[in-house]
Formats: sequence, structure tokens, C-alpha cells
Amino acid sequence: MNAMEKVAWAELLVCVTALAAVGLLVPWLGDRAVGGFGLLGFLGFTVLFLRRRGNRVITDERDTEIQRVATSFGISAAWFTLFLVLTILVVWAGYSHTDAVPTRILTWLIWISFAVLYGVKGLAAVVLYRRPHAA
Amino acid sequence: MPRKKEPGLKNCLKALRTASAGMTQQELADRVGVTRQTIVALEGGNYTPSLTLALRIARVFGQSIEQIFQLEEW
Repeated sequence: MNAMEKVAWAELLVCVTALAAVGLLVPWLGDRAVGGFGLLGFLGFTVLFLRRRGNRVITDERDTEIQRVATSFGISAAWFTLFLVLTILVVWAGYSHTDAVPTRILTWLIWISFAVLYGVKGLAAVVLYRRPHAA
Repeated sequence: MPRKKEPGLKNCLKALRTASAGMTQQELADRVGVTRQTIVALEGGNYTPSLTLALRIARVFGQSIEQIFQLEEW
């Protein structure tokens, strides 16, 4: 397993853990459970996998290609989530004659979009690293 | 622009490497500037290298690209 594959696994695990933690905290904390998304901060530690060891190559053209495809999957999934939920909110607000959407919903939406972006990116990269002719 | 997938692209990289005084995958990877996993993918026919990488590999073995990589027509 090379460095970028470790990064992909870390992204996937951190996002799944954050979503699971938030899901478990919601019954007790309600909207305050959004703090569980702070676990996404552990994504910052993935840079440790990219430390140079001697003259060994850390990332190459295959990694770049896989990351490019995985990132496009992640961004697409995040935008899809964001716009789908926003559309549902607008329709809901229109039918219920509500003047405004609660900001707490938008906060949730932004955090979930971030988790979806990195989670799908990590998952796509893990799959691409194991699939023949992926890149 | 991503490279086109070429499942019909065969190579004799593994045979050449082992014939070169038992060169390891890591040694070849270091010489051509990629990770060992990319050499594994190349030898397994699971990765289509860029022209630059193919040229580097050809240079390491002192052969032409056509002698190392063959495209099976369909």
C-alpha cells in the first residue's frame, strides 16, 4: 500500500467515523451533535503519510490520475447533496409558506457536504487503487 | 485529458527485470521515478504508462518501447 492509498483509507475512515459519531450523538445532543464533525479535523494528519523517506518516490503519475478521478467523484457527490437538499428546502418552504429556512439546517448541510466530499473521494480512491485499468 | 485504457497492452517488463541481474521492483521504481505499486500494476498489465514513463523504462533496459510494450490488436 503506497502513501496515497493510505491517505484514501484515512479519508474514508475519518469521514465514516465522523458521520457515525454524529448519528450516535443526535439522540442525546440534538443540533449540538454537529460538533461531532470536528472529527473531520483528523484529515489534517493524512499529510504525515506523505513524509519523504530517503530518495523514495512518494507519489507518481498513477497516484495523480487516481486522485484526480476520485476528487471529481467527491466534488460531484458533495454538490449533488448540497443542491438536492437546497432544492428540497426551497420546495418545502414554498409549500409550508415558511419565510425563512433555519440556519441550523444550513449548518448541518455544509458539514454533511464536507463529510460526503472526503468520504466519497476516499472511497473512490480505495476502489480505483484495487481495480485493474482504473488509471 | 485522461489516458485511454488499453487492456490489450501487453509488456515483458517482469521478464526483463528478472533477467537484469534480479533487479527488484523497488530498484526499478527508484530508477524510473515511480512507486513500487505502479511497477506492480504495470507488470500485471493493470496500468497504461505515460509516454514519459515508457521511455524511462525503455532507457533503463536499453531497449525500444516497442520491444517492451506490445499492443494486441482487436
